[in-house]
Amino acid sequence: MRLKPAKIALGSAILLCGIFASTPANAQTAGGAVSGTVTSPSGAVVPNAKVSAKAIATQQITETLTDSNGHYAFASLPPGDYEISVSAEGLGTASARITVAADGTTTADVKLSGAISLGDLGFSPAQTQGSAEDQARLNKRSHMLMLHQRFGLIATVPLIATLATSINAGGKSTSTTDRDLHVALGAVTGDLYGISAYYAIRAPRIEGTQTRGPIKAHKILAWIHGPGMILTPILGAIAFDQKNKGEKVHGIASAHGPVAIVTAAAYGAAILSVTFKF
Amino acid sequence: MNWKLSAGLLLIASPLFAQADSEWLLDHGVLNYHVSHPMHQVDGVSHAAKGKGTCRAGQCNFLVAAPVKSFDSGDSNRDLHMLQVVRGGEFPMVSVRTQLPADAAKSTTVHADLEIEFAGQTVQYKEVSFHLVMQGNEAKLTGTIPAKLTDFKIDPPSLLAIPVKNDLPIYVELTWKRQK
Repeated sequence: MRLKPAKIALGSAILLCGIFASTPANAQTAGGAVSGTVTSPSGAVVPNAKVSAKAIATQQITETLTDSNGHYAFASLPPGDYEISVSAEGLGTASARITVAADGTTTADVKLSGAISLGDLGFSPAQTQGSAEDQARLNKRSHMLMLHQRFGLIATVPLIATLATSINAGGKSTSTTDRDLHVALGAVTGDLYGISAYYAIRAPRIEGTQTRGPIKAHKILAWIHGPGMILTPILGAIAFDQKNKGEKVHGIASAHGPVAIVTAAAYGAAILSVTFKF
Repeated sequence: MNWKLSAGLLLIASPLFAQADSEWLLDHGVLNYHVSHPMHQVDGVSHAAKGKGTCRAGQCNFLVAAPVKSFDSGDSNRDLHMLQVVRGGEFPMVSVRTQLPADAAKSTTVHADLEIEFAGQTVQYKEVSFHLVMQGNEAKLTGTIPAKLTDFKIDPPSLLAIPVKNDLPIYVELTWKRQK
């Protein structure tokens, strides 16, 4: 079948009419207009104020400025809920919630309060807005450090008792009862110390914090008593074994006493470095 | 124009200058809180305060604010504990607002009604006295805000099971510069 040019032209024209006819219909339902006037606390119109319309659903922001009559207008915004925010130099900021209806015109006049905002001072939203998560992290940190402190203080009791019983457990003493008591107290000390250390190590870190003050000494001392608390029972076990065999403590095991004393001294100093602070 | 006319114009103009619109920026500010305990005294200082003031139609509005975590007591562990106690994770700023008549600057003592936002609470303090020194386009304001922990619903931290005192005086030293 061969079509005549006139028929082709007519068909094309009908098709194009159909396309163009449908386009305005879609545009008419696409959005609504928003306009208003921005005034100062005294009621004077505010020219050159920055006006933004933020779609609540999409967070999309459209901006404009007020004219010399304090008037602003958004010709076509997609229907939905919006936050209209206005800011002007020296007059602060203000905002209003509106709903834009399709094919409608919404009027949103805004009066600036004149109040200065944190944004006017140059603070960013990241600085001024906190969160429940940040507070929860701080709460968890404080709670865990409180447990660290309590277990650490409780551990001093068996620690002192362990040191006291070492006099009868070592040297020329042959009493197995004294040695067993010394070992038992040392084990209790080690367990409590381990629990205390766990809470200190696992407490959440707070970003952007530099260690200052007595806590610095407290942390440095932990590098002495921490390894000491591991080494002391290992050396003690060797010494215990040697004594049980009726041997004199010798070799590396003879370092058990000095290592224990250094560890206990570092531990005591670490406690004192922070005890008189809150 | 004779001298009488000049003097007359000057007299008329002076109050007009006092009433003129102006803007002030905080050049530098020091905020210092003091916490007291029977065994211990603590001061935390912030140099991170920012502030702005606008004077229009004889009325001035001022806002001064600082991040809560900017307060330094010399011990980061204590500062983080304080940050937790004052709910600084959720409410990271402390701000002070006040409204003053423009002619308040004529006196060396300013009595200001303050509105403080801190730890999620807004508290008003009436007639707080500040010492004011004007020097050209610079104004230096010093004084102490008589804040209390309970005003902001803050549980007092404890040392050896003894809580700190309820008083939380905040010493402020603010140097403002007139912008226009």
